[in-house]
Amino acid sequence: MNPIPATITRLLTPAERQHWELAWLSTVDHKRIGVLYMVTGLVFFVAAGLEALFIRLQLAVPNNTLLSPDTYNWIFTMHGTTMIFLVAMPVLFGIANYVVPLQIGARDMAFPRLNAFGFWVVPFGGILLHFSFLAGGAPAVGWFAYAPLSETPFSSQLGVDYWAVSLLVLGIGSVSAGVNFIVTILTQRAPGMTLRRLPLFTWMIFCNSFLVILALPILNAGLVMLLIDRLLQGQFFLPFGGGSAIMWQHIFWAFGHPEVYIVAIPAFAILSEVIPVFSRKPIFGYEFVAASTVVIVLLSLLVWAHHMFTVGLGHTVDLFFVAASVLIAVPTGVKLFNWSATMVGGRLRFDTPMLFCIAALVQFLCGGLTGVSHAIAPLDWQTKNSYYLVAHFHFVFVGLIVFAMLGALYYWFPKMSGRMLSERLGKWTFWLMVVGFNLTFIIQHVLGLSGMPRRVYTYPDLPGWGWMNMLSTVGAFFMAAASILFVWNLLTSLLRGKVAGDNPWNAWTLEWATTSPPPPENFHALPPIRSRRPLWDYKNPHRADPVVPVKSALDSFRPEKNKAGVITFIISEAGFFGVLIIAFLFYNATPGRGPGAQELDVLKTSIFSVCLFASSFTIWRSEAGLHANKPWKMKAWLAATILLGGIFIVGQGLEYWSLYQSGVSVGLDLFATTFFTLTGFHGLHVCVGLIALLIVLGIALAGAFKNGHLPVLGPVGLYWHFVDVVWVFVFSVVYLWPLIR
Amino acid sequence: MTTQQFFVSAWTWNTAPLVVSALALAAYAWAFGVNRRILYLIAGLSVFVLTLVSPLNALADGYLFSAHMLQHILLLLIVPALLLTSLPRCVSLGPRSSLLANPLAGWVAGVGAMWLWHARPLCNAAVSSKFVGWVQIFSLLVLGAIFWRQILAPREDERISPPAAVLYLFSACVACSILGILITFAPVRVCPIYAQPPADQSGVLNLIQAQWGVTPDKDQQIGGLLMWVPMCLVYLSAIIAQLARWFAHPVPVPPATEKAS
Repeated sequence: MNPIPATITRLLTPAERQHWELAWLSTVDHKRIGVLYMVTGLVFFVAAGLEALFIRLQLAVPNNTLLSPDTYNWIFTMHGTTMIFLVAMPVLFGIANYVVPLQIGARDMAFPRLNAFGFWVVPFGGILLHFSFLAGGAPAVGWFAYAPLSETPFSSQLGVDYWAVSLLVLGIGSVSAGVNFIVTILTQRAPGMTLRRLPLFTWMIFCNSFLVILALPILNAGLVMLLIDRLLQGQFFLPFGGGSAIMWQHIFWAFGHPEVYIVAIPAFAILSEVIPVFSRKPIFGYEFVAASTVVIVLLSLLVWAHHMFTVGLGHTVDLFFVAASVLIAVPTGVKLFNWSATMVGGRLRFDTPMLFCIAALVQFLCGGLTGVSHAIAPLDWQTKNSYYLVAHFHFVFVGLIVFAMLGALYYWFPKMSGRMLSERLGKWTFWLMVVGFNLTFIIQHVLGLSGMPRRVYTYPDLPGWGWMNMLSTVGAFFMAAASILFVWNLLTSLLRGKVAGDNPWNAWTLEWATTSPPPPENFHALPPIRSRRPLWDYKNPHRADPVVPVKSALDSFRPEKNKAGVITFIISEAGFFGVLIIAFLFYNATPGRGPGAQELDVLKTSIFSVCLFASSFTIWRSEAGLHANKPWKMKAWLAATILLGGIFIVGQGLEYWSLYQSGVSVGLDLFATTFFTLTGFHGLHVCVGLIALLIVLGIALAGAFKNGHLPVLGPVGLYWHFVDVVWVFVFSVVYLWPLIR
Repeated sequence: MTTQQFFVSAWTWNTAPLVVSALALAAYAWAFGVNRRILYLIAGLSVFVLTLVSPLNALADGYLFSAHMLQHILLLLIVPALLLTSLPRCVSLGPRSSLLANPLAGWVAGVGAMWLWHARPLCNAAVSSKFVGWVQIFSLLVLGAIFWRQILAPREDERISPPAAVLYLFSACVACSILGILITFAPVRVCPIYAQPPADQSGVLNLIQAQWGVTPDKDQQIGGLLMWVPMCLVYLSAIIAQLARWFAHPVPVPPATEKAS
């Protein structure tokens, strides 16, 4: 038995104990960052949980006056926003941050500093969001902030601005985390860990990261448009000036539907990891689980319009999206069958992690089925704005995601701390949680079907509504008790828990092949990796899993880290510009009343554009100079690139100035709003590119590269090419298209 | 005219597709003999002929943009895919170094065919001029074949790898979705010629607008949605096939439950 100090010694080295705050605050170790993510998520969970309790207290009895209507609106907006962006995403990212590098046998994430950045924007964004309480009132527009309610004429206080800015900050952090996961899994895998041998958890985080980098930029684009409306008097979502409030809904749900999967797929990943271990069987149909994940990722990006059946897009649109949405049930159903089949015939062990995962499976089946019912437009029309919908998505968010998260924390806590969580307290937590959850939300289906609308601060004393709501409130307090018990369990087990040992659950993936907690370098030695369960093979050499063959060079695909990072980031950026370009095309399909494209000087801009396009050539020559080991050539071409980029920016500045002189500013009309947004964001990216190029030039001039080696030039060059390609599209759409329209 | 009468009478017996199909069938049998894969060819040619002689063609001929879009999808995605699948596994489609074998060229061909033919002047011309119409059909088949070649080339070594294929197909799906979305919600006509349908002698227009309830606005919406949703599902089906190809491996069933110790 290790005494307590020994465990603490293993968490922090003696030198670090002298300044333990700094050891945590300045860390770039993926394990500590993972823990920081989870602790931050837990803090916000307490805040958003208290908000939930206030909501339930207000609704406990009819005609209640505990909260004023305004306060109620603040609280349900903050509850939703916090739970999704500051609880679900950070905790799941934290778990993935801790586990993924260990599962692939890596030393750390691909970009440890970027990883720290991704984490630190979470508390920063969270504080920004909550600061709105002090700045004249929290946002009161729901987590979806539908326009035009979220526009200045209807929400004139600063709440929505704080909401938008904080989500923008969090969105940038999430994209950086997504890029980091993708590059880590591609480039940091241990020898032998081929792409087809990845543990399912890692594979699903990999797929999910693509969803993160594709979906978050859509929200970011929407948020900057909303902010331009609010702060610069833009016209995007305001119907008075020809803007479209429906556009906001399209953008929001094009992000919002994938967002559900961004938090659900890590939960699926946890289930796929825990259920086999506690069934003592490999997962049934690895290939099906892995492939259906890819299908879910792709389908989820296509079906957002089913969130908008009640908007009035027309029966034709509804019909198509009913069909497409129902399809999502297929890959999800495949997963449920696989998990169930894994348990069939297994030697089940009902420890707390498994209990939570089984509950998640059952609750998600219910939540998924009510989800399918929402895919049917006529039913959706009846239930959309009722508590039936509230019950549905809480079955997914709590029933699946929170339960899976709790399962994951019970499962990996021994690895993180070296100590087991108390099973006795764990079982109490589990039953309180399950009973409380079902008490709270099953009855809400009935309430919804009997017509209780959501987002309304109170309700009349209709037959049955009072006791049903009271029951729901009582259930919420069961869940609160479970949460308190869980936190108590975390704290006491951290200090006095049973010592875990390296592999308490007798699991098979690589994170269990190292000590608990793992040393800073993660592994001293790795077992050979020939299948998806390397630790099983290592312990049972004569009953090893069949070797997963290496079929092609792609299995051990390992791109250069910095290039892979920039390319992943470019994919994400392309999504951002895609939204802005589509918005421009949509809003300018017919010439507006005010000043329009005829104000633009196409000839002059063409000349500046040629400079920008030429800079793609010069940076290519610069790289060629580097490879030919001719530093002066490389520096000269690099300087030429910067000069050409600078000319372009100055040209754009002159154009802005002359437009401004003739009275065209952002808020003037729809054309001006879309024009300045699209070209402005492109200009911003050119400036960022220029700064990066200047830094590279600085490094080159300082002579800090030897033997023709300057690894940053390649990635920066790629980014610069991307900026130029974007301008091809922007220039065609903004300047050339009006000429032929 | 009732719906039933329309579907019985509105067949346009173009001889060209029938002749071309018969020739293709004969050429295939001559070159590769009759084997099981010829069924794919027959399926592909049937879709091709039906696209161009069935009532769908009559509707696309000036009445319905959406029918035109459906033809477009069938000719670009379904027919070339079936034709490529029908080729025996040993046939090479040319050297890897050629421009046509470049994945980027394939992608641009597949996506470009969609964007280009829905530019307003070209979209109109394809309906109003018989010649441009035939050029369109021919180009869709060729561009579709160039697109699918990356995925369905008979020889494994002439295809791109499954993960790359997933990206290839999905980005094509997104690129076409964007156009579909713009067409669905555009406040302007993409193909204005369909707003002035031909003189309604046989009562087809009355059938479409009064009985089916398809107004020109709705028609364009259906067209956009066809490109947005079902077309993407075609790409998605191909993606599923690619995933099956990626994960398929000749490994025996792993040992089942851990024995009680």
